[in-house]
Amino acid sequence: MGLQPFEAVVAAHHAEIYRYLMRVTSRSGEADDLSQETFLRAYRAWEGLDQDANVRAWLFTIATNLARNYFRSESRRRRAYAGAWDAHSDVDPASPEEERRFHETRALVERVVDGLPVKQRLAFILRKLHDLEYDAIGRSLSCSPESARAHVFQALKKIRLGLNGHPLPTMESVR
Amino acid sequence: MTTKHPSCRAIELELVATATGDADARSAERVRQHLGGCAECREEFGRYRAVDALTRTLRAVPPPDALAQSRAGLESRLADLKHRRVTYRIFPSPLGHILIGRSEDGIAVIEYLHGGNTLGASRLARVEGVEAVPGGPELERLERELLDYIAGRRRALDWALDWRLARSDFERAVLEATAAIPYGAVASYAGVARRIGKPSAVRAVAQALRWNPLPIVVPCHRVIGTSGQLTGYAGDKLTLKQRLLSVEGIKLRPGRGDLSIARDAMYALGEGETEYCLPTCGSIGTRSLALLTLFASRADAEARGLRPCTSCRPDLHPLSAA
Repeated sequence: MGLQPFEAVVAAHHAEIYRYLMRVTSRSGEADDLSQETFLRAYRAWEGLDQDANVRAWLFTIATNLARNYFRSESRRRRAYAGAWDAHSDVDPASPEEERRFHETRALVERVVDGLPVKQRLAFILRKLHDLEYDAIGRSLSCSPESARAHVFQALKKIRLGLNGHPLPTMESVR
Repeated sequence: MTTKHPSCRAIELELVATATGDADARSAERVRQHLGGCAECREEFGRYRAVDALTRTLRAVPPPDALAQSRAGLESRLADLKHRRVTYRIFPSPLGHILIGRSEDGIAVIEYLHGGNTLGASRLARVEGVEAVPGGPELERLERELLDYIAGRRRALDWALDWRLARSDFERAVLEATAAIPYGAVASYAGVARRIGKPSAVRAVAQALRWNPLPIVVPCHRVIGTSGQLTGYAGDKLTLKQRLLSVEGIKLRPGRGDLSIARDAMYALGEGETEYCLPTCGSIGTRSLALLTLFASRADAEARGLRPCTSCRPDLHPLSAA
C-alpha cells in the first residue's frame, strides 16, 4: 500500500495536473480526458509504488507520457483554445499603455511556446510553470537531467529571439 | 546572426540560467564577472530577466466549472474502477498453486490453478467487468489462513465474501446453501437442491458447484453423491476433495470405482431435526442421503447447537474414534 489513501492524492494534485495538461494541449477537453487518464493509471500502479516515491513528480511523469502520446498519435495541429492562456498577473500595470504592451508581449510569448518542439515545450512548462527538478523532468521525458536543462535553455532562447525588436515590458509591470 | 565574442558565446548558457534563476552560485559569479566588462551581455541579461518574469505569469485558466467537473468525472471513474478491481495473490500449497482474489466487498475468488502459476492460467483474467491487479501484503494474511486451514490447523475462515463471480441467482443460492454446511459434515447434491427449494435440480447443483468460484471457503468438498460416493471435485481434482474431507476427520473408504464416505462411521442429522443420531438409530441408516447431513464427530454436531438424540443416545454410546 502507498503512503496515503488514493483519494488524498487526487485531492492534492488533480487541479495542478489538469492545469499542466491544459497548458500543454491548449484545450480544456483534452485536459479533462488526459488528467482523468493520468489518475486512473496512477491508481492502477498505486500499490506498487515505492513508499518514498515523489508522488507529485510521478504524476507529472504519467501526465507527460500521456501528453506525448497524444501529440504522437495524431499530428495534431494545436488550435489554441481561446482563454487557455490567460493574462494572470498579480499586479495592476502602471498605465493602460503599459498594460496593453504587457498583454501583447505575453501573447507573443504564448505563440512562441505553442510553436516549440514538444520536448522543449514540455520541459519548459514543467520547469518554469511547475518548478519541477531537472532529474524529474528528465525522467518524464526519458532523457538525462542535462538534456532536460538544454531543452529549457533552447526554449528560453527561442522566446527571447521571438521577442526581438519587441519592446519588453518593464520589470516592474510583470513583477 | 551577429557574431558574438567567443567569451560571450561560452557564457551564454550560464547567463540564461542565472537570469532565469536556474544557476548555482559559481555560475552566477562567473556571469557577474563577465557582465562587469560586457555591456552587450548586460543588456541580454536584462532581457532574459524580463522573459523569465513574463513566462512566470503564463497560466492556463480553465473555463468556469471545468476543473470541478473533471474532478467529479474522475472520482466517478475511480469509484467504478475500485469496484471492479480484484487484487490477487498466487501461492503454492499442498493442493497445488492457488490464486486468491479480493475485492472491496470481500473474497471474490479462490482458484486451483492448472496450466501455470500466473494470472493467465486463472479464470480471473477472462471475467468481464473485473480488473485483476497483483495484491500487496494484505493478501499474505489470507494466504496464511488458507494454508493453516488446508493443514488442519484452522477450522474456520471468517472472511467476507463477494459473490460477483456467481453467474446466476441460482448459482449463488447453491453456493450460499453449500457455505452453510458445517465443518466436519457432508451433505448430498440432492440435499443442497432440496435446501434451495429446487429438489429436482440435482444435476444443475452439481454443475454450479463444479464452477464454484470460492472452493474451500464455500465447502463444495462437503457435497457428495446420494450413494455416498465423492463423485467429483473442481473438474478432475477428486484427490483434493479426499484430502480436504480427511483434514476434517471424515472417514472414507473405497467404493465401487470411487471413494465413498464411511456412512456407518458418522453421526446423522435428519432434515429439519435438531437432534443428531447414531447411524443405527431407527430407520436413519436406510434413509436417503438427500434427507441427511452427516457429521464426523459429536463435537462437530454440537458446535452447531445440535443435541444428542434421546433414543439412541450418541452421547452415551459414541462411535469409536478408530
